[in-house]
Amino acid sequence: MQSLIQVRAPASSRPDTASMQDNIAFDAALLRRYDKPGPRYTSYPTAPAFTADFGAAQLREHALRTNEEPIPKPLSLYVHVPYCFSPCFYCGCNRIITRDRSRAAPYLLRLAREAEMIAPWFDRDREVVQVHLGGGTPNFLTPAQIFELMESLRGHFRLSTRADRDFSIELDPRFLNLGDIASYAACGFSRASFGVQDFDPVVQKAVNREQSVEQTLDAVTACRDSGFRSVNLDLIYGLPKQTVAGFARTLDIVTATRPDRIAVYGYAHMPQLFKAQTQIEERDLPDAGTKLALLQLAIDALSAAGYRHIGMDHFALPDDELAVAQDALSLHRNFMGYTTHAECDLIGLGVSAISHIGDSFSQNPRDLPAWEIAIDNGQPPVWRGLALSHDDVVRADVIQQLMCHGAVDIATIEHRYDIVFAEYFAEALVRLAPLAVDGLVVRDAGRIAATSRGRLLLRIIAMCFDNHLNAAPAAKPRYSRVI
Amino acid sequence: MRTVPIADDGDALKFCSTCAFSSACLDQGYDKSRLGELHVLVEHVGPFAEGTHLFREGDPFEAIAAVRAGTVKTYVNDSEGREQVLGFFLPGEVIGLNAISRNTYPCNAVALDSVSLCRFSFPGIAALAARMPGVQQQLFKLLSQDIGKAALLAGNYTADERMAAFLVSLSRRYAARGFSPTRFRLTMTRTDIANYLRLASESVSRGFRRLQDMGLVAVDRREIELRDLPKLEALASSILRG
Repeated sequence: MQSLIQVRAPASSRPDTASMQDNIAFDAALLRRYDKPGPRYTSYPTAPAFTADFGAAQLREHALRTNEEPIPKPLSLYVHVPYCFSPCFYCGCNRIITRDRSRAAPYLLRLAREAEMIAPWFDRDREVVQVHLGGGTPNFLTPAQIFELMESLRGHFRLSTRADRDFSIELDPRFLNLGDIASYAACGFSRASFGVQDFDPVVQKAVNREQSVEQTLDAVTACRDSGFRSVNLDLIYGLPKQTVAGFARTLDIVTATRPDRIAVYGYAHMPQLFKAQTQIEERDLPDAGTKLALLQLAIDALSAAGYRHIGMDHFALPDDELAVAQDALSLHRNFMGYTTHAECDLIGLGVSAISHIGDSFSQNPRDLPAWEIAIDNGQPPVWRGLALSHDDVVRADVIQQLMCHGAVDIATIEHRYDIVFAEYFAEALVRLAPLAVDGLVVRDAGRIAATSRGRLLLRIIAMCFDNHLNAAPAAKPRYSRVI
Repeated sequence: MRTVPIADDGDALKFCSTCAFSSACLDQGYDKSRLGELHVLVEHVGPFAEGTHLFREGDPFEAIAAVRAGTVKTYVNDSEGREQVLGFFLPGEVIGLNAISRNTYPCNAVALDSVSLCRFSFPGIAALAARMPGVQQQLFKLLSQDIGKAALLAGNYTADERMAAFLVSLSRRYAARGFSPTRFRLTMTRTDIANYLRLASESVSRGFRRLQDMGLVAVDRREIELRDLPKLEALASSILRG
């Protein structure tokens, strides 16, 4: 799973974690007002703004430009493995359901060709400090195939050998051979991420993902035994048939397992976009009030268990390097989540993968045949993209500060871009005013900060600064509801 | 990220803020309209897009030009066809001076970003210099600055010293034209900087990283902030000598 936010280190102060524990009292009218569709800001501008006139030639030009920066950024590779053995109904990722493992070999061959085409665009002194294998289900590949993939990447890119490199892999515990975990470690992976979502059997049945507590705990233990530096567990709130009591039990089990990091994502029900979601009965979904209660429960339970809210949907133990980096103001975020590494140029490989290189976003074809045909024709498979304007860059920075830190430091933005914040964002500030009245955001001379209730509606706050959204009301793309 | 320095454009009467000759002319009591009477052709040309050649080696020499906006790189190709970067010209600086002694340009000049120029007919400015000692002095000063630029390359200096001298030189030149001495955009590529300083590209990046780790500079893509100019000047002092 690939998300797309790239953010600088927090400007001045670390997020106010204490405020996360406040009780949030939402009245019904407020809920109705703000429970509306909005982008998740995994990138700004968001993917609907990408266009097909940005292709391989444009991407190459942007890539070559990044080589010419005084200190070219290190590289980050995202490799998408689209195959899954079984469909989870909530899934909004790009994936192909099959039990036919023979499909992996030709896919890997084309991945290697893609790497061979793209890698020469980047100077060899640029180290790859992050590799993330996402999906789909990366453990659809055999350990031997994963080894082969890593060797192929090593042949085309300079993979970092430093101890602090981040090589991570998403694993599905239901199809995991525990004996294979040592092989993943031998390939260089030291971070694993497992989907849990909810242990409540009723919910698991409703989303077609039946995964026992035991399976999950065994996988976590095997990673620790194999020397993995960090284990992450993903949870989702807002799933069908989910209850506060059931989710509370899940949170108890998860916190007792002590994963280094926990992500709590909100379920976005968009069956018109994600076919799998049509299997979910709308009437089984929790209402907005319950969704908020579930989120509040997660925040309270994780805080009580000693987890630090790193930002947005991510939590970490206080001795995790993310928490340490946050204290040291050296935390960054990129499309693979939070990281202690400086910003990278992000290269996405595989079907539907998104790249963020220089001031550009680009995306590979979402359908497998189109991706395959491009590669077979010797074309870098770029489907669509966007060259960011200066205004996009400024707004992206503000939106990402909001999404990751819940606050924008005005002086930092003014200094960075030589602007007068109040003038540059005059329209945004007008749009922000009613949110301040509703107690979602506070604004003083120095900063704009989400209140404790506003932190749960960061997308609404960020939308005020979105020029694409506000400029083109006629052709609005469809977004999920914000709560 | 921020706007590239651009000269405050003059008009028929007023000189551009970065004009290489305005102070000399004004000191002599000439405003811009008088230059027209003296048939000194001053022609604003451009903007030229990034990558446009403004002149090439061997082109007939007719005019010198002051940069009004953008950055110009001059270079030659050696006998093996390898590019050798000679220099970078910022707003207010004059290109083509090294052609004065011959009838053709001895190097290539290319726009590194959007470049606007102010062209002076050379015969015209030479005639003006003959009448006006101040303009002549200014011309000599520009010529000697052009020669002085080569000092960065000669000599047995460390990579850090070269890098510091390069940055301090840019800083002083921007400051002289009224732009920020501590924050500017590096319009030249890493390859060009490396070529100019006779270093490998990787060494340029390592040098920037070292200066950044020492707290002397902050680098954000092509944006440079000089955080400790005195220390950079100290590091550059053996090359720049004041």
